[in-house]
Amino acid sequence: MNNWLNHQLQAIKLVLSRMHANSLSSSMISLVIGVAMCLPSLFYIGVDNLSKLTDHMQNETEISLFLKLDVSHDTISEIDALLAKKPEIKQYYLVTKDEAWQQLQAKSKSNPDVNDAVNQLGKNPLPDAFFIQAKSVEPDDLASLKTSLQSIPGVEQALLNTEWAKRLSTMISLSKKLIFFIAALLAIVLLVIIGNTVRMQILTQQDEIEVSYLIGATNSFIRTPFLYAGVFYGLFGGLFAVLMILGITLTFNYAIADLSSLYNSDFSLTIFNGSLFLTVVSTAVLIGWLGSYLAVTRAIASVIQLQKNH
Amino acid sequence: MIKFDQVTKRYPGSDEVLKNVSLHIEAGEFVFVTGNSGAGKSTLLKLIAATERPTSGTVLIANQNVSQLKASAIPFLRRRFGLIFQDHKLLYDRNCFENVILPLRINGVPGNEAAKRVRAALDKVGLLHKEKAMPITLSGGEQQRLAIARAVVSRPSILIADEPTGNLDANYAADIMAIFYAFNQVGVTVIMATHDALGMSATQNRVLHLNQGQLMQSSPSITGINQTASNSDVSTS
Ligand SMILES: Nc1ncnc2c1ncn2[C@@H]1O[C@H](COP(=O)(O)OP(=O)(O)OP(=O)(O)O)[C@@H](O)[C@H]1O
Ligand SMILES: [Mg+2]
Repeated sequence: MNNWLNHQLQAIKLVLSRMHANSLSSSMISLVIGVAMCLPSLFYIGVDNLSKLTDHMQNETEISLFLKLDVSHDTISEIDALLAKKPEIKQYYLVTKDEAWQQLQAKSKSNPDVNDAVNQLGKNPLPDAFFIQAKSVEPDDLASLKTSLQSIPGVEQALLNTEWAKRLSTMISLSKKLIFFIAALLAIVLLVIIGNTVRMQILTQQDEIEVSYLIGATNSFIRTPFLYAGVFYGLFGGLFAVLMILGITLTFNYAIADLSSLYNSDFSLTIFNGSLFLTVVSTAVLIGWLGSYLAVTRAIASVIQLQKNH
Repeated sequence: MIKFDQVTKRYPGSDEVLKNVSLHIEAGEFVFVTGNSGAGKSTLLKLIAATERPTSGTVLIANQNVSQLKASAIPFLRRRFGLIFQDHKLLYDRNCFENVILPLRINGVPGNEAAKRVRAALDKVGLLHKEKAMPITLSGGEQQRLAIARAVVSRPSILIADEPTGNLDANYAADIMAIFYAFNQVGVTVIMATHDALGMSATQNRVLHLNQGQLMQSSPSITGINQTASNSDVSTS
């Protein structure tokens, strides 16, 4: 046990000093791993945050009922009365075209671009609208309520706010599958890159490996330093990736903060995602280990072959 | 200690390099292996060191049959030997100290203890002051001695030297022979292949003479070889 530990420590020391001696190529390979791990992670963070947003929206069961532009006040009161009688409706309120116009003008004051656009419109283009909260949250109930509302005379369009959110969430689940494939492809690329790096190292150490075998080294003695090399590449690469992810999400959050203030929202990307970081680093380490394991197993077999043919 | 019984060795695609070799080497002996180039001296040493396996016959080392050992046990058998290769096999990418410490790393000797033993070994071959030098900057004789330091640093009970005085002039060769005699004096078994009679002519050591892979009778003054060497003599100088 003590001997085993000693062997591991020796191997780690050896590997770290070798990596230090080749610090340029070591940091290059770590950087490559970092970037490759970073890409799917950022994609994941984006999609994950989007899906949180849509989850939130899907819980809202609001139906917007836009009326025809030329409806009379009488028609509006008729519709009002009709809505009041409907048992599926929990509550509703009316925003008249004038109120909506005022709201738009008030909001646009703070933003010169929008203000220009609104002023150019000249007259009010907005319809009267009812905003309806249904009792049920079931998609089917909502859909049938929407159809019945659509058929009321004077109604231009009934909009179920969850519809686009639903479409978005299908896209999100598709994207998640896509991320999985991208990540798997990148993992294969990394395996090849790491494997190749370790193979090159083995070639430069070929003499040492050969002599070591002749004077009684075990397979594990030969193999261990290279496995640690792979593990360290993965570890440093994974940490690189975490730093890059942090940097990029932070930068994005400033931009998003500006954007979401326009939408009266306090939405921002979740910055610190511990389990994601843990996954990134441990996956990188695992890939590093596996890449070097595959390389070392094959390369050592060929070194032994070479030694035999001497 | 080392026993060959009807050993034949054939490399892939080669003829028989060793034919029906039987021999017995006792602990503490100093044995020369002679023969022309290509006679099979190196091959014989490789079979003893368990870096090659016999094609047929049995090789017994400390009562272990090399052919029957599991692959995982071979490294531990090899660690009993100190090997000096015909082509040195020094590592030219590191200094003398780092070259000599390699067997200790393999044996799992911890750092401080290892450094002490490396210096002791370098001292024994007169290279302590060259600790930090790169092998390529050493003379031929110094490189030979470095190879000896690496072979003895793990304190093996058997030294196997393949033409350690190879291309050296007489002075160097005598130096190196003296080192081997000193080790033999303290009980280390020495098996040395050599091209010519240089350095061994004056000794009473047993000589295993190979002729095209066959073990011949050794010179009359010395013990017969094909019979078991019960009366083999420990070296004197
Ligand atoms: N790995 C190998 N594969 C094929 N043939 C080999 C191999 N090693 C040695 N031989 C052959 O075996 C024969 C004996 O070789 P060996 O190296 O044992 O001779 P040697 O007595 O040590 O010669 P030298 O004095 O030149 O070192 C030679 O004919 C050589 O070509
Ligand atoms: Mg030879």
